[in-house]
Amino acid sequence: MNPSAESPSSIHTDCAEVQVPGQVFLVIAVASLSENLLVIVAVIKNKNLHSPMYCFICNLAVFNTISSFSKALENILLLFKDAGRLNSRGPFELKIDDIMDSLLCMCFLGSIFSILAIAVDRYISIFHALRYHMLMTMRRVLIILFTIWVLCGTSGALMVGFFEAATVKIFFIVLFFTALLLILLLYVHMFLLARHHANRIASMPGAQAQHRKSGLRGALTLTILIGVFVACWAPFSLHLLIMMICPENPYCECYRSLFQLHVVLLVSHAVIDPAIYAFRSVELRNTYKKMLLSSASRICKRCA
Amino acid sequence: MPRFQLSNSTSVPNHNYEWSYEYYDDEEPVSFEGLKAHRYSIVIGFWVGLAVFVIFMFFVLTLLTKTGAPHPEAAEPYEKRMRLTSCADGLGRQRETDGRTGLSRPLLEESRSLFHCYINEEEREGGRAATDAGALTHGRSGIGNSRGQVEEVGLVVQNMVLESRAEREAALLAHFNIPNFVNSELNSALGDEDLLLGDPPIIMEEARPRCTHHIID
Repeated sequence: MNPSAESPSSIHTDCAEVQVPGQVFLVIAVASLSENLLVIVAVIKNKNLHSPMYCFICNLAVFNTISSFSKALENILLLFKDAGRLNSRGPFELKIDDIMDSLLCMCFLGSIFSILAIAVDRYISIFHALRYHMLMTMRRVLIILFTIWVLCGTSGALMVGFFEAATVKIFFIVLFFTALLLILLLYVHMFLLARHHANRIASMPGAQAQHRKSGLRGALTLTILIGVFVACWAPFSLHLLIMMICPENPYCECYRSLFQLHVVLLVSHAVIDPAIYAFRSVELRNTYKKMLLSSASRICKRCA
Repeated sequence: MPRFQLSNSTSVPNHNYEWSYEYYDDEEPVSFEGLKAHRYSIVIGFWVGLAVFVIFMFFVLTLLTKTGAPHPEAAEPYEKRMRLTSCADGLGRQRETDGRTGLSRPLLEESRSLFHCYINEEEREGGRAATDAGALTHGRSGIGNSRGQVEEVGLVVQNMVLESRAEREAALLAHFNIPNFVNSELNSALGDEDLLLGDPPIIMEEARPRCTHHIID
């Protein structure tokens, strides 16, 4: 970018790119890493959580862990570069940059697919409750997870390799909108069934008034789930769309100047995910309590 | 894109080429002159649209909560539920004495017997379950009435436990805490919609293959 070539009048009306300090990324990445590692450890340790639903939640946590790890690594390397210890144009650094970008890409795709898998799994468990264990055997779950990993790995590598092509951006945008639509449909249908049953219970004599409060709570949970998904992924998808459609429009330029903020939102999705999916489970929370108690008792034994 | 100019005198090739690269910014700088609307209008429009979408979705879901009309056949399923609760009552009393062991074997035995009790109740029901099966299974009647009954029982079992959360002792709920299954969220204080977003409800694996084969065959 050659600032001297710009006309003076355009400088102060330009939408300068909003820079987010690297420390913010680092803090978010470290928080996400610790949360998701906790989820993975809890799911592995507790035998009760070796079921299809928790496999998908653990898979989401693994993708989030890898993405936050690579984001943290990228920021550390940027700090080194700012300190002058790294050459930003060297071949080794470019290769590392490509590898980290493809890992990030793979993890973003993987989180979308994992969220979809969790929604489909919940849907099957509600609407085909009695056939659930025939439909979702552990073998099928492992096959699904393997497919997701292979698909995301190759897509991530291809997307970073051919990022200039418009196909990559179109693929990402289409994937986001499809996932959003599917999640909306599945969860709203599940919600409608739950309302139907709650109304039938409420119509019985002796029903309590907590029925309405629980309905509001369900609506709130669903809104948070879908709202967080859209708020974290839509800005980035719109950014890709705008890059393709209007690269020279000043309004679009102002939107594109907020790129780093949109990436912050993407990374913060990895922080919020455990709170929405994993930590809502009572069994997982009990596992944490047991882990804390056992480690506390071990420390006490060493002290005494 | 490189741009080069040939010198005017072509008779003497003195190679007066001028190379320069053109950046898009130099050629067509994004002009911010004369913008009609605010420069961040796309950003503002996007976030306002997103907020409107989320709030609209919340209001729609809340309205669905409030305006759920009572089911016209409310009396009949109530009786059926009372009959089915008798199954759970009998077994619950039996198991209260055992206490809350948390062992898988006795729990599976009891869930098997509970399931058989429900299936027997359903079979005794006869043809009355047609409308209810249709309502509960949402039009999957093509599969067959008995299958619909089985699925209806599954859903009614879900309802049962929803109900029992408020009324029964925790011992009955522990009945459904079958290890290696997705644990039921229903013994927590979450709302019944969180049923969707917590763990799936009662899945009785050992009992089901035998029972469904018995019903479907």
